[in-house]
Amino acid sequence: MPSRSAGLGRRSGVLAVGVVIALLVVFPVIRLGYVVWTEGSGHLDEVFSEPALAEAVANTLLLAVAVTVVAVPLGAAVALGLRRTDVPGRRWWRFSMLLPVLVPQFVLGYSWTQAYARAGFTDTVFGLPWPSVLGPWGVWAVLVVNTVPLTYLLTAVGLATRAEPDLERAARASGAGAVAVLRDVTLPLLRPSIAAASVLSFVLTLESFAIPQVMGTPAGFSTVTTTIYRDLSLGSDPLSFVEAITLALLLVAITVIVVVPTDLWLGPRLRVNRVADSAGAPVVNPRGAGGRWIAAGLGAYLLVGVVVPLVALVTTAVTPAVGVSPTPANWTLDNFSAVINSRTADALGRSALLALIAATLLTVLGGCLAVLERGRAGRAMASLVTITLVLPGSTLAVALLIAYGRWIGGTLTLILLAYLAKLWAFAHRPISGALDRLPPGELQAARASGAGSLTAVRTVALRPLAPALVAAWLVCFVTALHEVTMSSLLYGPGSETLAVVVLNSAELGRVGLTAALSVLLTLVMLVPALPAWLLIRWLRSPRRAGDAAPVGRLSHAG
Amino acid sequence: MKAVTRAWLSRGRLALLLPLALLPLACDSSAGSGSDADSITLYTCVSDESVQPIIEQFEADSGAEVNLFRAPTGDLNARIAGDLRSGGLKADVVWACDPLTMQGYVDQDLVGGWTPDNATDIPKQFRTEDYVGVAVLYVVGIYRNGEPPPTSWSDLTGPDYNSVALPDPTVAASALGALGWFDQNPEYGLDFYATLQENGAEQVSTPDDVVTGVAQGVYQAGITIANSAYLAKDAGSPIGVVWPEPGAVAVYGPIALANDSADSTVAQDFITYVVSESGQQVLGEAGSYPTLPGVEGPEVPADAPVVYPDWPTITEDKDALLADYQKIFGG
Repeated sequence: MPSRSAGLGRRSGVLAVGVVIALLVVFPVIRLGYVVWTEGSGHLDEVFSEPALAEAVANTLLLAVAVTVVAVPLGAAVALGLRRTDVPGRRWWRFSMLLPVLVPQFVLGYSWTQAYARAGFTDTVFGLPWPSVLGPWGVWAVLVVNTVPLTYLLTAVGLATRAEPDLERAARASGAGAVAVLRDVTLPLLRPSIAAASVLSFVLTLESFAIPQVMGTPAGFSTVTTTIYRDLSLGSDPLSFVEAITLALLLVAITVIVVVPTDLWLGPRLRVNRVADSAGAPVVNPRGAGGRWIAAGLGAYLLVGVVVPLVALVTTAVTPAVGVSPTPANWTLDNFSAVINSRTADALGRSALLALIAATLLTVLGGCLAVLERGRAGRAMASLVTITLVLPGSTLAVALLIAYGRWIGGTLTLILLAYLAKLWAFAHRPISGALDRLPPGELQAARASGAGSLTAVRTVALRPLAPALVAAWLVCFVTALHEVTMSSLLYGPGSETLAVVVLNSAELGRVGLTAALSVLLTLVMLVPALPAWLLIRWLRSPRRAGDAAPVGRLSHAG
Repeated sequence: MKAVTRAWLSRGRLALLLPLALLPLACDSSAGSGSDADSITLYTCVSDESVQPIIEQFEADSGAEVNLFRAPTGDLNARIAGDLRSGGLKADVVWACDPLTMQGYVDQDLVGGWTPDNATDIPKQFRTEDYVGVAVLYVVGIYRNGEPPPTSWSDLTGPDYNSVALPDPTVAASALGALGWFDQNPEYGLDFYATLQENGAEQVSTPDDVVTGVAQGVYQAGITIANSAYLAKDAGSPIGVVWPEPGAVAVYGPIALANDSADSTVAQDFITYVVSESGQQVLGEAGSYPTLPGVEGPEVPADAPVVYPDWPTITEDKDALLADYQKIFGG
C-alpha cells in the first residue's frame, strides 16, 4: 500500500521529468510544426503529391519491416544460444556481439562497400564481388548486422530478468523436449522483451540515415531520411526546407502509429511482480555438439558483418591511392599522419567530455523515466521519448536551433541538449527492461527490516540494476561519441566535435583519408568500451551476485 | 599520435570532475555569440583544406578573428534555415560552392547588394552585382589507363566507351552545372545524356565516386571535377585527366556579404582579401582553382578549353531540367 508521501513524490517526479521532456522534445517539435503550418500551408499538397515521396515512404516501411523480422529472431537466437555453457569462448562472444554497434554506422556502411562492391576487397582477392551491395539489399544487410546486437542485448537482459529457470527445469523434468520448453515456457516469458526489441529495431530503421545514404543513394534507392537530406541540399529556397520538415513530421506520425499501441500493450506487461532472481541468466545444460555450431554461426556473422569490412577498410586506409594494388610494398601511413593533428586531438577531447556528460545525464534521465513508467503519465512520456528517437538528426537539430539557437546557438550546450533529446530512449529502454526484477515488495521489506531509504535503494535497487545502468551508459556514450548529423549542424567556433572534424576531412574526396579517419574513429570507440564491458562483467560476477542474495531471500519473507 | 594521447589524458582528468566540467560549457555559451567588433562569422561549404589557410593569412594580416562554420551545402542550408527562424542569419560572410545556392540566398534577401572594388578584376562570367566568384570547379573527363583518352565530350558517346560514370546532378552542384551547359548547347542537349545511357553509362553519387570507380576499373571513363581527378592521379591512381572540347565546364564558388553585416568593415575586408591577388594565391596553393586571371592554381593543361554555363537560366529551369534528366537516368 503506497503511502501518501510516496504518491506525492511520484507526482513531483512526473512533473520534473515532464518539464524536461517539454523542454527537450515537445517545445522544439511544436516549433517545427508551427513553421510547417505558417510557411507551408498551401504547398503541402504539392509535397505529398510527389511520386518520389510515395516511393521513399514505401521503401522506408518495407525496409523497417524487413530488418525487424530478421534482426529480432536472430538477436533472440543469439541470446538463447549464449545461455549454453558448452559454447566455446562464451564470454568472449558476449562481448564481440556488440562490435557492430561500436563501429559508427557510416563507417560500417562505407566499409561494406569497400569490402563487397565491384572492385572491392573480395573482388580483388577472391574475384567474388557482390554488386547489389549498393542498393536495397546491401542497405538491408548492413542494417540487420547493425541491429542484431541491440535486439540481442534487449533479449539477453530479458532472459536474465524474466526467464524462470525453475519453470524450465520443471518442464524438462516433466518430460517436455527442448523445443517444447522453448515454445511453451521461455518464449512466452520473453514476449515483452522481444516486443520491445521489435519496436526499437523498427524505429531505428525508420530513422537510419548514414547506411541508406552511403549504400542506397548511389544506386537510386531512397528512403524518407535520404529524401529529407536531398531536399535540404538541393537549392536554398525556403520551400524545400519546409518540405524537409514536413517529411520529418511524417516520419514522426508513422512512429506514433507503431509505438503508441505497442507501448499501451507493453506497459502493463512490464509491471510483473515476481521474486527477484539475482543469479543472473539461467544456464542451460549442454547436449550434443550444439555449442560448437552456435560458436561457428556467431563467428561467420562477425566475419562477414564486421571483420571482412574492417579489414577492407584498413587496407584502403594504408593504400596511397585508389586503383593502386593493396600489396604490402605499397602500404603507407601517410593517410593516418594527415588526419592526426592538433585539431583532431582537441575535437576528440571535446567529444569525449560531451559524451561523458551526456551519457551520465542520460542514464539518470532514463532511470527516472523507467521508474515513472509504471504509471500512466510515465508511459505517455516514455512514448514521447521513443518518438524523438525517430526524428531524423538533421530535423531535431534544426528544431533545437529554432527553439534555442537565439541564446545558445553554436555552443556545446546546444549539442548536449540535442544528444539528450535524441538518445533518451536509448538509455530508457534497457533500464526499463531490467526494472522488472524489482518487485515493490522488496524495497518495502528492506525498509520494514530497518534499512534507511538510501540504504534500501542502494542495496535493493542499484545492485540488480547495475548491469542495465552500465549498459545504458555505454550505449549512450558510444552513440554520442560518434554522432555526426546533429553536431555537424549545430557546432560553432570552438565546439567542433570529433565527428565534425572527421566529416570535414572526409569531404576532401580522398578515399584513403576517409578510410584512415574511419579506422581511427572505430578505435576510439573501443577504448572506452573495453573497461566498461569489464565493469559490467564484474558487476554480474557470481561473487557479487552472492552478495545480493540475502536481499533476494528477504523478499520471500516480505 | 602522442598529441592525441596527451589530449585524451588531460581532457579525461577534467571530465572526472563532472560538475566542474559543466562550467566550461556555460562559459562557452557566453563566448560563442561573437559580439566582438573585430570578429566575423563565415559560413562556407568550401573544403577545410582550402579555407583554413586563407583564414589564417587574413587573421595574421588584419588582427581580426574569423569564426568558421563549414558544412556541406545541405547542412549549410539547414543551418541558415534554422538561423532565420531564431533571430536571423548568424553569418557576416557566406562563401558558397555554386551560384545556384548563392542566388537562393540572394532571393531570400540574406546576402548581396555589395561586391568589393577589386571584383572587377575577376572575369565577368564569374560574378553578379550581389556576389563574386573566388574559386572554380572544372568539370572534366577522366579515363582509366589503357583506355583511349576522349578528346571531346561527344567521344564519350562513341563506340569506344560502353561504361562511363557520371555524377548525380541532384547531389553535386558541379554536375548540375554541367547538365545545364549540355542542355543549353544545341550540339549536345539532353540527347547527349540519352545516348550515354543507351551506351551503358551509369550514374553514381558524387564526382569523387566517379574517380574511385574509374580508378578501380569499374568504369572505362567518367565525368568528374578536376581537383578530385588530379588528387587521385598524383597519388598514383591509374587514371588520366582530359579537358575535352569544346571545354571543361566551369562552376564557380561565389562569396557574398550578409545584408545584416553591410556595415562591417572586417567582413568587407575579408571578402576584398579573398578576391585580391594575395588571397587568390593562398587559395591556389591550397589546391583550389582561383578565378583571378594570372594566378596559378592546381594543374591546367596549356590552352585547356573552358566553357561557362548560363546560371540565371539554370536557376529558372532547374526543376524541369532535373525532371527531364531523371527520365533518362532514373531517380
